[in-house]
Amino acid sequence: MSAGARTRGPGTRLGRAVSRLLDSGWAGLTGLAAALLAPFVIATPYALSIMTSAAVFVMLASGLNIVVGFCGLLDLGYVAFFAAGAYTAGVLSTRFGLPLLATVPAVIAVTVVAGVVIGAPTLRLRSDYLAIVTLGFGEIIRITAGNLSVTGGPSGIYGIPGLVDGPVAFYYLTVVVVSLAVAGASRLGRSRLGRAWRFVREDEDAAEAMGVHTYRVKLAAYVAGAVWGGLAGVLFAAQLSAISPGSFTFLRSALVLMAVVLGGMGSTPGVVAGAIVISLLPEVLRDLADYQFFAFGVLLIVVMLVRPQGLWPHRSREAAP
Amino acid sequence: MGESRLATIWSLAAAVTILTAGCGQGLLGGGQEGGDQGPIALGMLVPQSGSEAAVGPYMRNAAQFAVDEINGKGGVLGRKLELKVADDACDAQTAVAGAGKLVTEGVVVSVGGYCSGATLPTLPVFGKAGIPMIIPAANSQELVDQHLGHVFLINGTGTQQAAAAMAWITKQGATKVALMHDNTSYSKDIAVRTKKLLDEPGGPETAILEAVTPKESDYSANITNVLGAKPDFVYWTGYFQEGGLITRQLRQAGYKDAIMVGDGSVSGKLAEIAGPEAAEGVYATMTQTPETLQGAGNWIEAYTKKFGSPPGPYSNQSYDAVRLAAEALKNAGSTDGTKVIAALEAINGFPMFSGPLKFTADHTLSAGGFQILVIRSGRFVLQDALK
Repeated sequence: MSAGARTRGPGTRLGRAVSRLLDSGWAGLTGLAAALLAPFVIATPYALSIMTSAAVFVMLASGLNIVVGFCGLLDLGYVAFFAAGAYTAGVLSTRFGLPLLATVPAVIAVTVVAGVVIGAPTLRLRSDYLAIVTLGFGEIIRITAGNLSVTGGPSGIYGIPGLVDGPVAFYYLTVVVVSLAVAGASRLGRSRLGRAWRFVREDEDAAEAMGVHTYRVKLAAYVAGAVWGGLAGVLFAAQLSAISPGSFTFLRSALVLMAVVLGGMGSTPGVVAGAIVISLLPEVLRDLADYQFFAFGVLLIVVMLVRPQGLWPHRSREAAP
Repeated sequence: MGESRLATIWSLAAAVTILTAGCGQGLLGGGQEGGDQGPIALGMLVPQSGSEAAVGPYMRNAAQFAVDEINGKGGVLGRKLELKVADDACDAQTAVAGAGKLVTEGVVVSVGGYCSGATLPTLPVFGKAGIPMIIPAANSQELVDQHLGHVFLINGTGTQQAAAAMAWITKQGATKVALMHDNTSYSKDIAVRTKKLLDEPGGPETAILEAVTPKESDYSANITNVLGAKPDFVYWTGYFQEGGLITRQLRQAGYKDAIMVGDGSVSGKLAEIAGPEAAEGVYATMTQTPETLQGAGNWIEAYTKKFGSPPGPYSNQSYDAVRLAAEALKNAGSTDGTKVIAALEAINGFPMFSGPLKFTADHTLSAGGFQILVIRSGRFVLQDALK
C-alpha cells in the first residue's frame, strides 16, 4: 500500500521533507487504521453512508489507475465496467434469488469478457482514438441497460439484497475489500507486468522493440481495470440496494479519471487520496447549497494549479531525470 | 515496517479513538441524540443541483410555507416544526447520502422525493430508521410495488394518469393513438400503461409506441415514424423541453389532430418552445395545480408575496405533504414512527388540494385527481375535470 520508492529529484528542503514523509511506508497502514477507526469517532447513518461511498470510489480509482496510471491508456468510459458489475450482481440476485456473494464469480467472468471484447479491437488504437472509443463504450452500456427489460429499463433494478446486515458491518466489509484491492493493484504495479505497463506508458515503440508484447500487456491492464471496476459495482449495488442507468453517466467516468489525475497518475497512495478528496469534497461543501459545485470546481482548479503533478505524485527510481 | 512503528500507529489511533468517543456519535458513544424537546424536524430530499434542479425551490418553498403557517398557529404537539432540506441531485448515490444525513439530523417524517430513480434507494434508509415517508411528487409504480409500510404517495400514480389519458382519448373519439415517451422510468411507465388500456378490445387502438432520446434538438426522424402510422391523437408522456419541440415539429410536419402531453410537460415553457401557434389547443393530463384550483387564489397570492415568485410544479403537493405530516403527528400524539404510520393509514377526508384524502391499501391516493388542461394563449387552463 505504499509507494516504497526512495525520494529523488530536486526540491526545497521542506518539499523534500514532505516527500520523504509521503513516501515512507507509513501512509498505507495509517490510512487503513484511520478507515477502521473512523466509525468509533462518528457512526451516524450519514457518515457511514458517505464513508462507504468514498471507499467504493477509492476502489474504482485504483482500478482506473491500473489502466490510466500504470499503462497510460486514456479510458473515458470506465464506468461501463462499474455498471457491468453492478448490473450482473443485481440481475442475478433479484431475478434468480442468488445471494450477492454468489454472484461475484459471474461478475468477474462478465467483466473479463467485457474487458477482452472491448479491449481487443480498441487497444490497437492509440491515445485520442482510444479515448473516443472508450467514451462511446461507456454510453453504449448505459443506454443498453436503459433499454433492456432484464435490466429493468430506465427504472433499473431495486430490492438488491445486502452483503451483510447493518451499515457498520457493511462499512467494515467494504474497507477490507477495498484495502485488498488497493494493495493488490499496487503489487501488480510493481510486478514484472507492472514494469511492462510503465514501459508501454513511457514509450510504446521502445517497449515493443525491447520485446514487450505491448498489445497483450495493454489488454492485461484493461482487463485488470475491468475486474476492479466490476467488483466495485457489486459493492455499489449492495450499498444502494437499487441501481439505474442514471448512476452510470459519463460524469462518473470523468470524476474517477479526475481522482486519478488529481491524486497523481500511477501513484497508489496518491490515487487513494485523490478519490477520497473527490468523493468527500461535495459532501463537505453540501451546506453551501447553490454554490456547492462552484466551490468544488474552484477547489479542483486550485489543486491543479498548486500541485500540477498531483496531490501525491508517483516517484520511481526509473523515472528520475 | 518495524514492530515498534506499528505499535506506535495503533497506540496513537487508540488514543484518538478514546478521546473522540466522548463526542457520542461513534460506535462507543451510545444512545440517540435528540429528545422530546425542541422543534420536530421534517426532512425533505429534493433536487437542488443537477438536471432537475429547477423544481427544488418550488417544493422547498411550499413546504417551508406550510411549516411557517403551522408554527404560526402554535406548532404540533406543543412544539414547533422545523424543515430540514437535503439535495438529492436526482442521483441515487447523492440521495442515499442525503437521506442518511436527514436520518442523522433526527427527522421524524420525510416529506420529500421528486425523481423516482433517486427516491427508490432512499426507501430502505428511512425504513430502517422507522421514519414514515410522505412522497409529494415521485410516483413511479416501483415505489408502490414494494408494498413498504412506511411509504405514502400523495401524487397520482402512473396507472391513474394513464386512466385519465384513456378517458380523454375515448371522450375525444380518437381511433389511432401514437404514444411517445423519452425512456425515463416515469415517462415510459405512463406510455406503457396507456398502451395496455388501448390494447383492450374495443375503443381506440395504439398506432405506434415511439421512444425518443431526450435532450436532442431535432426529432424529425421520430416524427416521420409516428406520422407514418397515421395517428389521429398523439400523447407525449415526457418532459416539457422535448414536449415543446415535438409539438412544434409535429405541426410543421402537417399534423393537424390532437396532441396531449403528460404532467411532466405542464410548464409555461412548453408553449414558449413550441411557439404560440403550435401550442394552442395542446391538451395535458395533470393533477390539480395552484392555477387550476378553485379558490386557491389567496394561497398563490400569499406564496408569491412571501417568496417573490409564484408557486410552480409540485408546490401544492409539497405544501400538502407537510400539512399531512403535521396532522398525522397530531393524531398520533407522538413522533414515534409506528404511531405516525398508523395515524396516516387512519386519515379519512383530510382536506388537500387533490381533494379529501384517504389512502388505499397501497398507500396511494384513492383518486389520482388527474384532470385535462388545455393551452389557451400560451397558458394551461382547465379543460375537463374528468369528474
